[in-house]
Amino acid sequence: MKAFARRMVGIDRRVIFLLIAAAILLPMLKPFGLPIKVSPEVKAVYDYIEALPERSVFLLSFDFDPSSKPELEPQAVALLRHAFRKNLRVIGMTHWLTGTGLADGVFSQVAAETGRERGKDYVFLGWSPGGSALIISMGQDLYQAFPSDYTKTPTRGMPVLEGVRNLRDVNYMVSLAAGGAGIEMWYVFGKDKYRFEMAGGSTGVIAPGLYPFLRSGQINGLIGGLQGAAEYETLIKRKGTATAGMDAQSAAHFVIIVLVILCNVFYFILRGEKGSPR
Amino acid sequence: MIFLKRQLPLAITFVMGVGFILQYYIPHPVSEDAITTVSKWMQIISGFALFLGLASLFHVHAVKIKRQVPGWGYSLALYVGMVGTMVAGFWNHGETMADGGQTAFGWLYDYTMVPLQGTMFSILAFFIASAAYRAFRARSREASVLLVSAVVVMMGRVPLGQFLVPWTWDVTQWLLNVLNSAVRRAILIGVSMGAVALSLKIILGIERSYLGGGKDQ
Repeated sequence: MKAFARRMVGIDRRVIFLLIAAAILLPMLKPFGLPIKVSPEVKAVYDYIEALPERSVFLLSFDFDPSSKPELEPQAVALLRHAFRKNLRVIGMTHWLTGTGLADGVFSQVAAETGRERGKDYVFLGWSPGGSALIISMGQDLYQAFPSDYTKTPTRGMPVLEGVRNLRDVNYMVSLAAGGAGIEMWYVFGKDKYRFEMAGGSTGVIAPGLYPFLRSGQINGLIGGLQGAAEYETLIKRKGTATAGMDAQSAAHFVIIVLVILCNVFYFILRGEKGSPR
Repeated sequence: MIFLKRQLPLAITFVMGVGFILQYYIPHPVSEDAITTVSKWMQIISGFALFLGLASLFHVHAVKIKRQVPGWGYSLALYVGMVGTMVAGFWNHGETMADGGQTAFGWLYDYTMVPLQGTMFSILAFFIASAAYRAFRARSREASVLLVSAVVVMMGRVPLGQFLVPWTWDVTQWLLNVLNSAVRRAILIGVSMGAVALSLKIILGIERSYLGGGKDQ
């Protein structure tokens, strides 16, 4: 028994890689489609957008780049589908230079599928340097921060921005963040001074760190990781890549849990043995 | 010279620091105009930081290629990638789409940058699994609490876990909203107080390391 445990503790990591690959691939080929439970923090974002009157201004900040695409793109797609369905005016932008093309692609795709028009129903402002300074600049004067949009069309006079002078005229904003330049920055430099309601969407790995902002009401909702995206897809009754990916994530979590439990069993078998794993 | 190197930057830091702390509480048009102008300056300065970063990257890797240090081939690949992307970007005027079709710059973004970044990040899943298998052990009471919480959260955050062990959903919500929030809040308060203290030290000229040149200059 001890010999087996010793062998298993020192197992080649490529075996673990293979198990994870199988756990991700198999459910994608044959999904089991379990129901998705909706958490109150995701429901809060949905409810707020649902309650907004038509043509309200919704700002969506794509604060991520392609490395976080699998988790945050489904959130963006679901939020845009919901916003366009509610006939909101959507302003898009990004703080991550390398995320610009990705964000524009998402806007174009969802706008095309819902029949929305650039400049009239939505505008993608693109990227501008500054991070926190850019937020302050937008809070003071949106047209000075972004004189033109991503397609180099002047922003002043755009129908979608009618009546919008600065961040104070934004009815709701969501920052989809993969790291530092994101939700916290939008709260500190944006919401706190310019008084708009906001929520966050984040990768699974940074979501737990955002719960204090949620609990204190600094953000009114939080969409965390692929699970959060799948919950939002459930709420808007439109399944997408997040719901499809949750089966793979379920299986991968289970493989890791089984591996961790097994490793601890082997650890206990070998406990006290000279040279045993510590 | 010492005036330009030390006293002037310290004076600018003090005036701007105190000025913009006060600005936050004074909603007068003059004060609002000031923050509008300064935020534009800050944006321009951030833009220059990009050029500095790029120049530094070019310099570091040029030295590696010139000296043919181990792994210099990666530096060459970086050079080819960066220069190639910049040439395509300038050639296509930074446009990813033109005349209804994709430009070379857009193609580079969609078919090299997106998959490469995605691949780098997805590799993490494999290494995390391997690291968890080797390192996630109940060596002590504290480690056991962490292990049990992690297993419960991993189950509670996926539909299969919620289906097999329904209570993990509620326990996960409680762990995230109560215990996790409390701990994160304590860390945030500590970090924020540190940031406030450091900012005050910089504004008052007590912390001068940002001026460079050592402590007694």
